[in-house]
Amino acid sequence: MRTDDLITHLSSELEPVKSGAVARLLLGAVLLGIAGSVLVMLTVVGPRHNLAGAMTHPGMWTKLAYSFAIAAFGLWLVERAGRPGAEIARPIVALALPLLAIVLLAGLQMSAPGADMPGLVMGRSSRVCATYVTLTALPTLAATFWALRKLAPTRLTLAGAGAGLFAGAAGAFVYCFHCNEEAAPFIAIWYTLGIVAVTGLGALLGRTLLRW
Amino acid sequence: MIAQEAQYRNWMLAALAGDAGAYRMLLAGLTRHLRSYYARRLDSGAAEDAVQETLIAIHARRATYDPHLPFTAWVYGIARYKLIDEYRRHKRRATVPLDEANELFSHDEAGEAMARRDVSKLLAKLPPAKRQLVTDIKLDGVSVAEAAQRTGLSESAVKVTVHRAIKSLGEDLKDERRGDADR
Repeated sequence: MRTDDLITHLSSELEPVKSGAVARLLLGAVLLGIAGSVLVMLTVVGPRHNLAGAMTHPGMWTKLAYSFAIAAFGLWLVERAGRPGAEIARPIVALALPLLAIVLLAGLQMSAPGADMPGLVMGRSSRVCATYVTLTALPTLAATFWALRKLAPTRLTLAGAGAGLFAGAAGAFVYCFHCNEEAAPFIAIWYTLGIVAVTGLGALLGRTLLRW
Repeated sequence: MIAQEAQYRNWMLAALAGDAGAYRMLLAGLTRHLRSYYARRLDSGAAEDAVQETLIAIHARRATYDPHLPFTAWVYGIARYKLIDEYRRHKRRATVPLDEANELFSHDEAGEAMARRDVSKLLAKLPPAKRQLVTDIKLDGVSVAEAAQRTGLSESAVKVTVHRAIKSLGEDLKDERRGDADR
């Protein structure tokens, strides 16, 4: 086809684009993905006992806030990475905030008098935590990739890593409702490890799965 | 700021609202830059394919343009991605600079032959008024209508002047080449 004819063809089938189209696409995918992650959490590990009681414990809110903040900045990164020519520095800098906060809180708890070091760091589920976070994150990772493929990521590894980061953090958020660990050092190490694993997986898959 | 930014961005915003006429002008304008961009980086068959692929990508992914950001950077991002994709397909390793939107928009087909030369040296041979017109229209992307308004000439007079000036520059180039060959 001649390029002139292509231009004629493309302009003849032009339809208006509603503002906020990207946001709606991402939101739809994210809700679907998280629904899948909740399903995985409920069927594979199940919610923790006495969930209602745990909701009054500050440790529960620490891990919810930590994973929520990373997920929010991660989604921001995904949105930027899906647009050609957009800056990605700000969401990446913002990610330092929750990391700094959890490290600080972990330091405080570990330096308190009479701190039970092995308990704070290893808890009772350190061997499975990162694996379950990864597993829980997978449906959200798939949904985020699906949405990114409809956008226009130009740096595929980075976009994939962003999707992994968001999905890992969303998976961690959902996993909070199963996990009965409350110590900040545990969260800082094992939750973060799970999120990093999904980020790496996303970066690896991005190169091939996000091509357009 | 890239000279064409305001014009192209306005066309794009109109196109996103459904204005097919503005969209046509936008795509036609971008095609001139894209052709020159790919022609300097790919062989001729691949270059025209890359132009078309990029136009289709611009069309299919136009919702990803964020009106708060420069439009030229958005187009350059897509053009660069398609170039890297083409290199990858032919297993060529190449590094493509990240931020050279200018590189895409400072060239188009008409300016191509001149771009390879020392442009300012050539232009210096023109009388000042003609030189100004050529610089405005061919290098800075000023529209003929705007140039006509600035100079007080009619649009057709502007076009004729620029056309003659370019032609005489072309002859100068030929003379120079002949001179080089004689030496």
